[in-house]
Amino acid sequence: MLLSVEGIDAHYGSAQVLHNVTIKVKEGELVCIVGRNGAGKTTLLKSVAGFLHPSRGSILFDNEPMQALKPEKVALRGIKYVWQDKRVFVDLTVRENMELAAYPAKADLDESLERLFSISRKMRTQLNSKAKGLSGGERQILLIGRALVGNPRLLLIDEPTEGLAAKVIDDISRILIEMKGRVSMIVVEQNLAIVSQLADRIYLMKEGNVLEEITERNLILDQDYIESLL
Amino acid sequence: MGAGQVMIKKFSDSGGLNIAVMIIGFTAFAYLASVNKVTDFIIFCIYVLGFDLLYGRMGRISFGHMLYLGAGAYGAAMSAKYLTPDPFLAILMGIACGATVGVLLGPIVVRTKGAAFALINVAFNQIGYFLVLVALARYTGGEDGVSLKFSTYGFLNFGNVHFLFVFCLCSLLLVYYVMQRLKRSAFGALLAGIKENEIRVRFLGYNTLVYKWIAFIMSTSISAFAGTLFTLNYGFTNPSFIDPARNVEVIFAALIGGPGTELGPVVGGTAYMVISNYLARYITRWELFLGLALLIIAFRFRKGVMGSIQDLMAKRAQKT
Amino acid sequence: MWEVVAYGLTIGGILYIISIGFSLTFGSMRIVNFAHGLIYAVGAYALVTMLPLVKGNFLLAAVLAVLISLPVSYIIEKFVIRRLYGKSIDYAIIASYAVLLMGVDLIKWIWGANPLPLSDPIGKNLAILSFEIPLYRVVIILLSFLIFAGLSLFFKKTMIGKIVVAGLQDREAVQGLGIDIDKYFAIVFLLGSALAALGGMLYGPISTVHPYMGFRVVTLCFAVVIVGGQGNLRGTALASYVLGMVMALTAWFWGPAADAMIFAVMAVVLIFRPIEF
Repeated sequence: MLLSVEGIDAHYGSAQVLHNVTIKVKEGELVCIVGRNGAGKTTLLKSVAGFLHPSRGSILFDNEPMQALKPEKVALRGIKYVWQDKRVFVDLTVRENMELAAYPAKADLDESLERLFSISRKMRTQLNSKAKGLSGGERQILLIGRALVGNPRLLLIDEPTEGLAAKVIDDISRILIEMKGRVSMIVVEQNLAIVSQLADRIYLMKEGNVLEEITERNLILDQDYIESLL
Repeated sequence: MGAGQVMIKKFSDSGGLNIAVMIIGFTAFAYLASVNKVTDFIIFCIYVLGFDLLYGRMGRISFGHMLYLGAGAYGAAMSAKYLTPDPFLAILMGIACGATVGVLLGPIVVRTKGAAFALINVAFNQIGYFLVLVALARYTGGEDGVSLKFSTYGFLNFGNVHFLFVFCLCSLLLVYYVMQRLKRSAFGALLAGIKENEIRVRFLGYNTLVYKWIAFIMSTSISAFAGTLFTLNYGFTNPSFIDPARNVEVIFAALIGGPGTELGPVVGGTAYMVISNYLARYITRWELFLGLALLIIAFRFRKGVMGSIQDLMAKRAQKT
Repeated sequence: MWEVVAYGLTIGGILYIISIGFSLTFGSMRIVNFAHGLIYAVGAYALVTMLPLVKGNFLLAAVLAVLISLPVSYIIEKFVIRRLYGKSIDYAIIASYAVLLMGVDLIKWIWGANPLPLSDPIGKNLAILSFEIPLYRVVIILLSFLIFAGLSLFFKKTMIGKIVVAGLQDREAVQGLGIDIDKYFAIVFLLGSALAALGGMLYGPISTVHPYMGFRVVTLCFAVVIVGGQGNLRGTALASYVLGMVMALTAWFWGPAADAMIFAVMAVVLIFRPIEF
């Protein structure tokens, strides 16, 4: 088991946002977390990433406990976050965004850039433009490229297709499917069609609880069924 | 519970116990030490109550509250000097001055919070200080200030040390009582809500700006009231009543007493006054000591004296 | 007229040097650092103390003074700022205020409460167009431009600079890449403090060196940050020079109103651009 989140509770101040949450991710898997707004999906990702420390329970990565680590230490262990809302460093160029990712990971910048270009050839032309000028889809790709620097073992991806046009969604989906096997992923998604394409397994969350785990292929493909459970 | 016990409980719940403590405490102190000095302490406590309305009850710390104290002090002084030496009119004018400043500055100030709120009050304090010291020096007497003589009405004589003491003590109790009613009112609950999570209160449909503004005006008015009493007590007014450097006094007092608690401002105000009056005689570097105490409070003693006592009592109640 | 402009640029330059550190700390840690004013004062007082020891060599004394201020700011950062920022921002402002108070009293204790004289180290005037301006002021103006250029380069071209720029924008994202952003913000804090000390030294000869100079400068810095935007290099520079001009102009008409005018400007800015933090 690559990642094992066991029975965590999380609080924002005095409000409890996660209740006894348990999820597991095997090496090479793509697990989707599905739920309505406010279900605690992002909070779960933040807890794994070290931005929020659970008040109860444990998080094991490669059998090493890491629920008390600071976020930068978590990242160095090989878990990278792909942010919601396409959050890139807007005042820096594409190249500089990648530079910042390569620096702490001591990764080769050119190699990382090549990998970015293999995901999207268009990035080569955008290399020296400020990230502010990128479209939503391009930003998402940059975020993924940034997260892949240093060859992480696990990616935490928060709503990658939100706000994107249909064609771009297809591109992103294709990129994620291609990455399967080389890196494990937890993907938070509200778009159930995408979830059906991507997921090896699905966790359903509601109001800070994990409702269900869906492992059967035909159920994963059944969007109505998933919808009904939420 | 017997009828007597019910009465006692009601008395203490409504703050009656605290009022009794204050009456007995200050009176005893006055006769043991000096009536004049203790009157000074009492007035300062009124000021701290006004300050704590914003800090303890609404969560906004002002680093420039001397402006409002000064507005009251000078409002009263100008009224006595240029209108009529009637002390009661002076008080009203002083409070009106403070309230006006609150009305005018409110819309700018209450939109901010945290650090911005703290410092924008400083900035206005500096402007006020400048006005009093330089710009309007012709009227305010500049650096020297103004000396005043107030008219007397039989026993209503602000020159009489004992009358002053009683008047100020009653004023303190009045302000305290108003604060109590406020705390238990819907308005008080709203302020507490704003302190904890303003956005949520806004989502519930309240125009938080208006409520903050009102609280601000109340705070400036109470502080101004204290200012008028200082003027009456001393018989003069000068720029030290609006000096931005003195803001540390009320901040320290509010913090050490226990922000947001009922008796905290009074305890803290008295504590500060005792330290600055008596400790200063023995330790020359008492301001260094004050800064150090403030630092320790910021790290380890955030609830202040009354806050910690409340915590202790709550823990004991839990055990039974 | 030109004298006013020159004077305004001088004040603006000094304001910039002092405020940039304050602005960066505010932008990165959301802390109003009153202790910044203390370092400013320490710079000036250290200079006054060093001067007789180096037989009047202003440059050497200045360097030494900055070096003296560094451990002071390091201690403040490590024991006060770092402990409080993030979780207890409301108390950070009180704590930094307390530090300033303590520092001011220590200064009074060591050097006395009276203002200390510090004279123009160059003492010569430069003749430009139809007027004369003390060469010292020209040096200050040039120095401030140099520092601006230097900082711009630093933030655009160096790795540390880029990390800080990214961190000011989006702290979590930087952490998520594996970078301990706190360490970098601490470096920025020290840099900003050193600049504050420099500012104190530069301003000393033009105004007075007295124990309460720190308090005054903090409110001025805050005004610069409000007008120019926090953590924003260019905005801080622009606001500094604009406010410097305001001060010079006001001082020309009505000397004592200079400070008050700055705050009036700040209040106006706040009406039209209310901040929420």
